[in-house]
Amino acid sequence: MSTCTEVFIVYKILERKEIAMRNVWFKVHAPHVVKMLQPGQFVIVRAFENGERIPLTPVMWDKEEGWIGLIVFTRGKTTMQMNTELKEGDYFLNIAGPLGNPAPMRKYGKILAIGLYTGIVEVFPIAKAWQEIGNKVHTLQVTFEPMIILKDELEKAVSKHTAVGVPIDSEKSFPENMKNVTARAREVVRAMIKELKPDLVFMVGPVGDQKAIFKVVKEFNVPMLVDLHPIMVDGTGMCGACRVTVGGKVRFACVDGPTFNAYEVDFDELIKRSGYYRDLEMRAMQEYMQKLQGGAQ
Amino acid sequence: MMTKRKLIKNRVPTPERPAYERIKSFEEVNLGYDFDLALMEAERCLQCPEDYAPCIKGCPVNINIPGFLAKLKEHRDNPYLAVKEALRIIWACNSLPAITGRVCPQEDQCEGVCVMGKIGDAINIGKLERFIADYAREKGIDDELLMEIIPKIENKEQKIAVVGAGPAGLTCAAELAKMGYNVTVFEALHYPGGVLVYGIPEFRLPKEIVKKELKKLELLGVEIKTDHIVGRTVTIPELIEEYDAVFISTGAGTPKLPEVPGINLNGIYSANEFLTRVNLMKAYKFPEYDTPIKVGKKTIVIGAGNTAMDAARTALRLGSEVTIAYRRGEEDMTARIEEIEHAKEEGVKFMFFVNPIEFIGDEEGNVKAVKFMKMKPLDEKDSRGKRKIVPTGETITVEADTVVIAIGQVPNKIIWKTTPGLKVAENGTIVVDEKLMTSIPGVFAGGDAIRGEATVILAMGDGRKAAKAIHEYLQLRDKFISPNEKS
Ligand SMILES: Cc1cc2nc3c(=O)[nH]c(=O)nc-3n(C[C@H](O)[C@H](O)[C@H](O)COP(=O)(O)OP(=O)(O)OC[C@H]3O[C@@H](n4cnc5c(N)ncnc54)[C@H](O)[C@@H]3O)c2cc1C
Ligand SMILES: Cc1cc2nc3c(=O)[nH]c(=O)nc-3n(C[C@H](O)[C@H](O)[C@H](O)COP(=O)(O)OP(=O)(O)OC[C@H]3O[C@@H](n4cnc5c(N)ncnc54)[C@H](O)[C@@H]3O)c2cc1C
Ligand code: SF4
Ligand code: SF4
Ligand code: FES
Repeated sequence: MSTCTEVFIVYKILERKEIAMRNVWFKVHAPHVVKMLQPGQFVIVRAFENGERIPLTPVMWDKEEGWIGLIVFTRGKTTMQMNTELKEGDYFLNIAGPLGNPAPMRKYGKILAIGLYTGIVEVFPIAKAWQEIGNKVHTLQVTFEPMIILKDELEKAVSKHTAVGVPIDSEKSFPENMKNVTARAREVVRAMIKELKPDLVFMVGPVGDQKAIFKVVKEFNVPMLVDLHPIMVDGTGMCGACRVTVGGKVRFACVDGPTFNAYEVDFDELIKRSGYYRDLEMRAMQEYMQKLQGGAQ
Repeated sequence: MMTKRKLIKNRVPTPERPAYERIKSFEEVNLGYDFDLALMEAERCLQCPEDYAPCIKGCPVNINIPGFLAKLKEHRDNPYLAVKEALRIIWACNSLPAITGRVCPQEDQCEGVCVMGKIGDAINIGKLERFIADYAREKGIDDELLMEIIPKIENKEQKIAVVGAGPAGLTCAAELAKMGYNVTVFEALHYPGGVLVYGIPEFRLPKEIVKKELKKLELLGVEIKTDHIVGRTVTIPELIEEYDAVFISTGAGTPKLPEVPGINLNGIYSANEFLTRVNLMKAYKFPEYDTPIKVGKKTIVIGAGNTAMDAARTALRLGSEVTIAYRRGEEDMTARIEEIEHAKEEGVKFMFFVNPIEFIGDEEGNVKAVKFMKMKPLDEKDSRGKRKIVPTGETITVEADTVVIAIGQVPNKIIWKTTPGLKVAENGTIVVDEKLMTSIPGVFAGGDAIRGEATVILAMGDGRKAAKAIHEYLQLRDKFISPNEKS
């Protein structure tokens, strides 16, 4: 490791707390990031020497004190390693940002902002800012019951917050359980659109769910925005890993997005692109689990 | 000066790792000269007079080549001294000889015009330059030279911001630091070096060398702030407020992609993504390193510049069969000759006069073939002196499970989108005057950011030139500002 990269900014973990099943809150010293940070933007984090660069979203931050709050959901190897190994007082190796364009701050009127699973992390700062500029924001999170997060914070920040916790059926496989979440989300969203008649729907979550929810929203012809989550490497427009097709054009989500008009997104393509490394991700995860088990003996 | 002696027409060859061995590893291919071999090669130089020597004119930064070669001969009995004196001469114009010696397109520059080239082989200037730099690094001679300079530096008050830590930015920073300025470099990625670390592979430019250069900057007191995306983390207008001058050297990092159906299929990488995953993120060591890469059985690399060769030879080392597909002919390839030769030796295949018109995928969205339009050359030449090409109407489809696109790069738009008043050409390059100053006073720019895709030595040359221009600018400015205005 070059000393150049380490000495000037230290991304110290000021606080670490498991706030829900598989969801860990990190409060991190990152003064350079907060200076210009706006809702809708993200950071790229590298936590370990051999580690990947992964995008995460600052959910809250303090410009004076110079910290950002991240909520990391244990998904694959990198997020699991972060959530298992990083303790209070430790450091992230790198945090670059803010990246991406701020979410459009307009007065839409009534907004339904939906987060599936940890997607609510990204919804939070945007929904809060929309509310502050005079929109009437109703947020909805749908996830597994023990994974509900940010409930009190959302209730304070927006007009109304609904948290739907789907129980985990231990008889069924995880993918089966996830199907339940999707089905439930579709149901609730449909009911809410009927009741609220929102002027805008915004949604963050796994791309398969984005597609599913979009289908519901489309039935009602309501404008819809989504934040897209393609695989990223640099996050600065240099590699094109994050390319998506929007409105028939190739766009780089990290510099042209991450917010796009749902009606223009090629969801099927993004679903395929997001799954490209699945076999390697599984392998990395398995090897890491084995290492953890080996270490525990 | 002219003593009678026999001309030696042929080059002293540099040892290379054999092709069968190197395609299995990322270790450097060319092993370079040792002192005795270097001396033998230097002996071949005719020592053309300095004001005439074509090689000096051919080098974009005008290194006194006969001058440094003479030092090797002069101190033949004391290699340490010979190298030290030679390095001193090189450093007067080029602070990164270990890098340029390896990556310059010498055949178009210093070596291309060498007088010996008319009689036999041109002097192997690149490899000699590399030898001097490598020997100096191994023996600590470069540190010693640096230590001669550092105590003489008179510290100045002014602060300068350099944006982007590629060869242009690093050179500018070093030169300004040597003049005593306080320099801060802002770099978007987590590691400085630009293309030298994320693009050019280990087997061509070991990362140790870049690391050593960064160490030198540190000794000179240059501060490098990684993870700072200028335009996002901090803007150029803010830097202008805080610093006395700014140098923009953000390169040309955005990949061009052909606008044809199927470009977003899985398995299609831009060369930047492919090389960044492998070089910067060390994906070739997955799962020891976390970043994955997938290389199938058959790889097609589209393009024929250095980037294409690097991608092709990287894919080969990851176990794939590789074909380079180029829309023009063999003689139009833009890569360094050495890289083309190495690629051929290693078993990379070539297809010429083909242009991709469609990428064909399977049901899972993975690429499985590339459909090309066959092209043909005309007698007419284009503005760059290359034969024009036209489609023949005939197509050919070739199987591939990995495709790497290396058809060029343009500057990233983050900088100009966030800098009001910065004049930018249509192709995205920043417009500068002959002193490398942009449309904003006190803001300079150089390297690929003003040239589009160019070369390491031109980027370095710009860095140097800008450092000088910044110095002059600040002197002039401070002369006309009264002391009370200054504070
Ligand atoms: C703009 C943006 C903001 C995000 N914000 C958050 C957040 O606040 N909290 C959070 O927990 N997660 C967030 N994510 C998702 C997070 O980046 C992934 O969960 C993480 O990269 C998974 O890495 P892994 O090694 O644990 O999993 P892996 O097993 O490597 O991958 C699991 C899945 O995660 C996705 N993924 C993998 N690598 C990357 C990558 N480099 N970039 C993007 N996606 C990847 C892929 O779809 C993959 O199939 C965000 C993603 C994006 C693009
Ligand atoms: C694969 C490949 C092989 C090559 N091979 C050769 C070769 O053999 N010989 C040769 O002479 N040339 C070669 N080149 C070209 C050469 O590398 C470039 O011309 C040279 O690196 C340009 O230097 P630069 O300093 O202008 O920019 P770069 O090297 O591109 O460096 C720019 C730096 O700025 C950073 N940056 C960008 N935007 C921002 C921002 N907004 N804020 C902060 N930092 C930012 C980037 O991360 C990067 O580190 C090759 C290029 C590639 C891609
Ligand atoms: S810098 Fe490049 S062109 Fe100049 S002498 Fe060295 S190798 Fe030749
Ligand atoms: S042109 Fe060739 S022979 Fe003449 S000085 Fe230069 S390297 Fe030597
Ligand atoms: S992540 Fe590399 S271009 Fe967007």
